[in-house]
Amino acid sequence: MIEEKLKKIMSKILKISVEDITVDSSPDNIETWDSLQHMNLVLGLEQNFNVSFDDEEIIQLLSYEIILATLEEKL
Amino acid sequence: MEIINNPISDIEDYIENSDRNELPELNIVIIRNITIEPIKPYLEYLSLCMEHKLNLKFGEYDNVIQDVLTNTELLQNDTDCVMVFLKLETLSPSLAYKFTELDNNEVHKEVELVKSYIHGTLSGIRSRVNALISWHGFELPLYPAFGMIDFKDDSMQIAVINELNNYVKEQLSLYENCFYIDLNNIRSLVGAKQYYDNRYWHIGKAPFTLDALKEISMSNFRLLRALKGKNKKCLVLDCDNTLWGGIIGEDGLSGIKLSTNHPGSPFYEFQQEILSLYHRGIIIALCSKNNEDDVWNVLDNHPDMLIKRKHISTAQINWQNKAQNIQQIALDLNIGMESLVFIDDNEFEINLVNEMLPDVQTIHLPKGKSVEYKTILASCGYFDTLSYTNEDKDRGLQYKAESIRKNHHNNFCGNIDSYLESLEMEVSVDIAEDFQIPRIAQLTQKTNQFNLTTKRYSESDIKDYCEQSDYEVFTMKLNDRFGDLGIIGCSIINITDKNAVIDTFLLSCRAIGRGIETVLLNSCIEKVRSNGVSEINAFFKQTNKNSQVKNFYENHNFIVIEQNDEEGHFTLGANDSIPKNPSYFKHVKTTN
Repeated sequence: MIEEKLKKIMSKILKISVEDITVDSSPDNIETWDSLQHMNLVLGLEQNFNVSFDDEEIIQLLSYEIILATLEEKL
Repeated sequence: MEIINNPISDIEDYIENSDRNELPELNIVIIRNITIEPIKPYLEYLSLCMEHKLNLKFGEYDNVIQDVLTNTELLQNDTDCVMVFLKLETLSPSLAYKFTELDNNEVHKEVELVKSYIHGTLSGIRSRVNALISWHGFELPLYPAFGMIDFKDDSMQIAVINELNNYVKEQLSLYENCFYIDLNNIRSLVGAKQYYDNRYWHIGKAPFTLDALKEISMSNFRLLRALKGKNKKCLVLDCDNTLWGGIIGEDGLSGIKLSTNHPGSPFYEFQQEILSLYHRGIIIALCSKNNEDDVWNVLDNHPDMLIKRKHISTAQINWQNKAQNIQQIALDLNIGMESLVFIDDNEFEINLVNEMLPDVQTIHLPKGKSVEYKTILASCGYFDTLSYTNEDKDRGLQYKAESIRKNHHNNFCGNIDSYLESLEMEVSVDIAEDFQIPRIAQLTQKTNQFNLTTKRYSESDIKDYCEQSDYEVFTMKLNDRFGDLGIIGCSIINITDKNAVIDTFLLSCRAIGRGIETVLLNSCIEKVRSNGVSEINAFFKQTNKNSQVKNFYENHNFIVIEQNDEEGHFTLGANDSIPKNPSYFKHVKTTN
């Protein structure tokens, strides 16, 4: 299940619990989601889902909702 | 070190869950014109592997000269290492992107500007700190400006960038403790196509992939390990399916695989790598479950055996467990477990040693992968040192001679003084000369057991001490019946008008147990007294390796001023007598 896997990855990289991840989760409301962790998140998603994001996609992946939608498109 | 191949979050978890409180700090400052913050977890992890806690600071993005010259918070006296990352694309966009537009004069002008920037940065760093500098060179363009013919002309891009890198190396060689990191080599190791992340270069000026950052970190830690005395000194080797294919006890001399052709060639190459380390000063020992005669037969008689008896400083070839045998090897060589690297193809043996001797570094050679053995050894990065001296070259011989001495000891039933007398030792204490500085620095970095204060010094530190009028640096040399051991002890004393302090006093581990430390100490005392200073102060700082010298000063008539579990302070007054030099030396020469 994409959602479960995505939440697990975000939880691990952003060091938050899975329960705290909502549709609106973004760098605005998650303190640990700075530019450095954003990069780790992007690379982690690429590795785990075996997908590839281009530079324009990377800078748009700024909420759980958007990431989920982008992943669903690619998979 | 396996965790380094895991995702970043695993590495971060490992770091988070480690107890770093008691660990000494490793202070690294990164000066840069690129975004390189993502390197931090790798550096932190490798620091932990080296039993240090990383304290990492970044200079401002692309503010290098100002950082170096005016940022007083950044470079401090306790900085251990300054890493410099200057990417040509940011430093000189013309040379990187517009090369074909420039005429020769413009290229020349730009080159001069870059050189003066390099010079300013390096001399600026050195004027502030003595820290180890690791300078990352310029990468050659993967697709040079003039394409396939770029290499032909000295005025074209590749030649110009090579010239800049050569300038960097020249400049680095003008100072002590400076090291060049070849990013072209690292890029090759990682694979150029896995080295750059062009997306992040554009989004955030972060050029490197995680794989590149990992490899860059590992290169730096080869230097840092050596700086902190954590490099390894001895390679302990299994024999069957390690030095040759097959089992000598079963296959016999003609049945084992060892030759310049397949399937013996991977083992032949592996032995070449081992010998290469031997000639760099690494001690070689054998630890094998075999009949002794069978193993020596191969070393003495197999036509393709590169490793010979003379290369082996000590061996434990028997049917006992390898943990016990490796302990004995460490004892025989008089070095700590943490200086050993144990290589075996057998997972059972590797696990046993990991369990029972956790300080010993193990390398498991995977089954069926003999073609990788040489690479596994060459890439391990445990053996780098910061210098290469004559003592390194002859170390194998000296430790071999030492083993002979020990065997000699075993035959001797009398009083130990008679044994020591039979060694015909000649001890010589001298004031340090310039050419000895690398060796002295190396001793301060590597010596752990007979080391009173365990202060680690670089060559430039020692040079400073030699030049300052209120410091004396002594070396002690030893030779005996079996050979010349070279410089095996040193001391650094601070002597002012009123006071003298022994800052550093140490003995190489292979010279312990002969009483020569008394000679060095007496030399120090005589020098202090001849300068008219009445009181000598000396200190002991406890580590987990030097408890054998806890009472050294007290045993030499010093008075205990203060002593607890961690430290000791001792003094010797003007009228206190000093113990006499042992009488069993053949000859003693001191500076007085």
